[in-house]
Amino acid sequence: MSGPPAGVGETVVAVEDVSVRSRDRLLLDGISIDFAARSLTAVVGPSGCGKTTFIRTLNRMTELTPGLKVRGTIRYLGQNIYAPGVNPVVVRRRMGMVFQRPTVFPMSVFENAAFGLRIVHAPEEEVDAAVTEALQRAGLWEEVRADLDGSALALSGGQQQRLCIARALAVRPRVLLLDEPTSALDPAATQRVESTLERLKEDIVLVLVTHNVGQAARISDRIAFLHSGKLVEVGATADILERPREKLTEQFITGRFE
Amino acid sequence: MSPSEPLISVPAIDDLRRDRSGHLVGRTVLDRSAKWLLPLLYLVAIGPILSLVYWISVRAVPTLSWHVLTTNPSGEAGGLYAPLMGSLAIILLATAVAVAFGFLGGLATAEYLSDRAAETVRVSANVFAGTPAIILGLFGYFALVEYLGWGPSLAAASVTLGIFMTPYVFRATDLAYASIPRHIREAAVGSGARPVQYLLRIATPIAFPQVLTGIFLAMAIGVGETAPLVLTTNQYSLPPTGLFSKAGALPLDIWGAYQNPLPGIVTAAFQSAFLLLVIVVGLNVIVRVVAVRSRRRLEGLYR
Amino acid sequence: MSSSPVPQASGDREPLPRLLRLRAGVARGWPYAPAAIPIVLTLVVVLTLVDASHLQNFGWSFFSFNTGAYGIGVFVLGSFLTSVPALALAMAIGLGVAISSTTYLPRWLSGWLDPFVDLLAGIPSIIYGLWGWLILAPFLASNVYAWSTVHLAWIPGLEPITSAPASPAANGAGLASGIVILTLMILPITTLLMRDALQSVPRDLWESGLALGATRWEVSRRVAIPYAKRGILGAAFLGFGRAIGETVAVAMVIGQAAVVPTNAYAHTTTMASYIISTFQTALEPGVVGRTTLHFLAELGLVLLAITLLVNLAGRWMIRRTFANVAGL
Repeated sequence: MSGPPAGVGETVVAVEDVSVRSRDRLLLDGISIDFAARSLTAVVGPSGCGKTTFIRTLNRMTELTPGLKVRGTIRYLGQNIYAPGVNPVVVRRRMGMVFQRPTVFPMSVFENAAFGLRIVHAPEEEVDAAVTEALQRAGLWEEVRADLDGSALALSGGQQQRLCIARALAVRPRVLLLDEPTSALDPAATQRVESTLERLKEDIVLVLVTHNVGQAARISDRIAFLHSGKLVEVGATADILERPREKLTEQFITGRFE
Repeated sequence: MSPSEPLISVPAIDDLRRDRSGHLVGRTVLDRSAKWLLPLLYLVAIGPILSLVYWISVRAVPTLSWHVLTTNPSGEAGGLYAPLMGSLAIILLATAVAVAFGFLGGLATAEYLSDRAAETVRVSANVFAGTPAIILGLFGYFALVEYLGWGPSLAAASVTLGIFMTPYVFRATDLAYASIPRHIREAAVGSGARPVQYLLRIATPIAFPQVLTGIFLAMAIGVGETAPLVLTTNQYSLPPTGLFSKAGALPLDIWGAYQNPLPGIVTAAFQSAFLLLVIVVGLNVIVRVVAVRSRRRLEGLYR
Repeated sequence: MSSSPVPQASGDREPLPRLLRLRAGVARGWPYAPAAIPIVLTLVVVLTLVDASHLQNFGWSFFSFNTGAYGIGVFVLGSFLTSVPALALAMAIGLGVAISSTTYLPRWLSGWLDPFVDLLAGIPSIIYGLWGWLILAPFLASNVYAWSTVHLAWIPGLEPITSAPASPAANGAGLASGIVILTLMILPITTLLMRDALQSVPRDLWESGLALGATRWEVSRRVAIPYAKRGILGAAFLGFGRAIGETVAVAMVIGQAAVVPTNAYAHTTTMASYIISTFQTALEPGVVGRTTLHFLAELGLVLLAITLLVNLAGRWMIRRTFANVAGL
């Protein structure tokens, strides 16, 4: 599906000592973490800890905020994405992103899903196939197949968010970055997005930013806990939840923050 | 192999330096061209004002003096006293008319009408605002100058211009009162304020700066408006003395110069244009300052 | 104070929103009557013009190009020949400026430039007229038209015609200058409205486009512009209304001749500019008496009808577009 599949456990994204500085303060401080193929890592932490900044460094979205400086190295399959000569446009096609609120474009369901392919002038048969596959992978196909030409804005919030996932999947990225994708959804819609994510992690690398420890517990393999821009602890979900090594982590997962 | 090179063999699709689609160069060139070429269009948008300000200043400033501003025009030697006083009188009276119509109309629409009726009134006010000034000029001539027998006069010009300015004041007033947050209204009514008290003590102080901005804006638009004046008054070499006396105006001087382009008259036209420019820019600056200050003052209300 | 005649009890019976409308309290004395002012003013203006026109000729000749028989064809044609190209140019240039402001320029730079554009929207048309008449049109004549009559003569409409009014006049007055001045005059307002429309595109939507590996240009074209369609349409309709109603500035550069223009440099006229230029002569009693004055009122009615139609059509289209976008 996404080119020759990488083996389980093989590192797809390697973050090496990444720091991000805005004009007046340090947002991320020396983060190092690897993301292996077919995994779902939940990035948790109190608000303002830098979780969103962190996943935005992974596909160079930080460049859109004037004044942010990124130090360190992030490797995608061994290639430094910040190396000179690497075009962020290419990086972002390999690492998709889904935002807090559904961000469907003012066009039909089909054209939304096809957006990433249209911009590279992909042939029509390829677009059809990719859109169908992406909608299936996002678990939206059955609900929208009858009216692919209807406006995407007519969908419910949960459907819109899964359409955004499908839109990102249509260009067959290896990595999907999700920035609190269920924070604007009701519990039923949240549950459907979560089951979509659980299926997707059999396939690609998922990095999920969430403020909701319960969600991390339900669907992640691994939890990374960020606090004031530092990576406090990272480990298997069960380990972090049951036997946190750090006091801060324990305080956070037991809800003594915020 | 340097550390930034792939350590393992990377499938072509994942090579960040390779473009699989074959369109990347074209897409990037398009984007870069837009980035560097589109801002050049600012030259078309802003170039005229630079040229305009430059030429009008060059032609007006060297000849402008206190003497010119304080003498009446006579023949080809243009003094600006009469048209300046005429413009001043016309714009003040017109503003009074526009405020009387526009403020009351806007207030009634925002506070007393049902949403449906208000919508109808707003649409008609917007349509009215889209009516070309020349149409209002024709109205002024036929209704005021002829039918009411006012003749070409200060009154005819002011009322015509005032009607032209009305929708601007109307819109500002309506918007100012209609956008007062509901919770303030509820609090006032809930604590037993009578409608009139609410209107005078609570709503008006909140809405006032926005209404004022609208009035200044209407003045800025009205003061340079020429078409209604051409049809309702004439160029005149003396300042207006009464409501039904003739009244010249700065824009009429410029239009007159086009009709009769003698060198002295054209010079006076440039002087008039310069004065108008100063007045209009001044009013716009006031609008901006009032708007910014009142927005800051009201920010707390909308949290 | 407590013994005021305001019937407070009736307020209690009202449902909440109406109570909040103050209406119950001051119902006496028709406080809502002034709200009718805009409607009444519109009616009074229309009726005055209908009366003044004496509806003297509403036969076929009225809709002809025969100016001798008071046909309006030449004037309507002139208005559209100037307004339509000016609108097209102003929309294209304005969209470019709006995209650079919202997409490409750093915030500090657009923050400096945009207020100039906004200020330009407030410059009176008589000042544009003076500048256009004595500075811009002569400049165009000696620099642009002199060149285009030689090098662009193969384009229909730009070929020089040797008869006097159709070759570019030395002072540059004519159809082309009319279009240029109108473009410059409506450019600030179209730019400003389109910039507002593009600024209303949510940041998330922008970033989603970029996160899919689109360039800024692609996001502007495929996401931001469709999203802002309603505001852009609004800018077009407002711009057109301004252009077709513009009077003095056009009158000063178009050459003022009630004839169908033979090429782009020819003198012609528009409805609005003809009214203002002919008004003084129409007042002088001559053989035709007040016929010309009636005709000007008729011309005014036609212009009013056109602006009204454009305004309402715009409203309707914008509502329809919005319904499409909202998927309703």
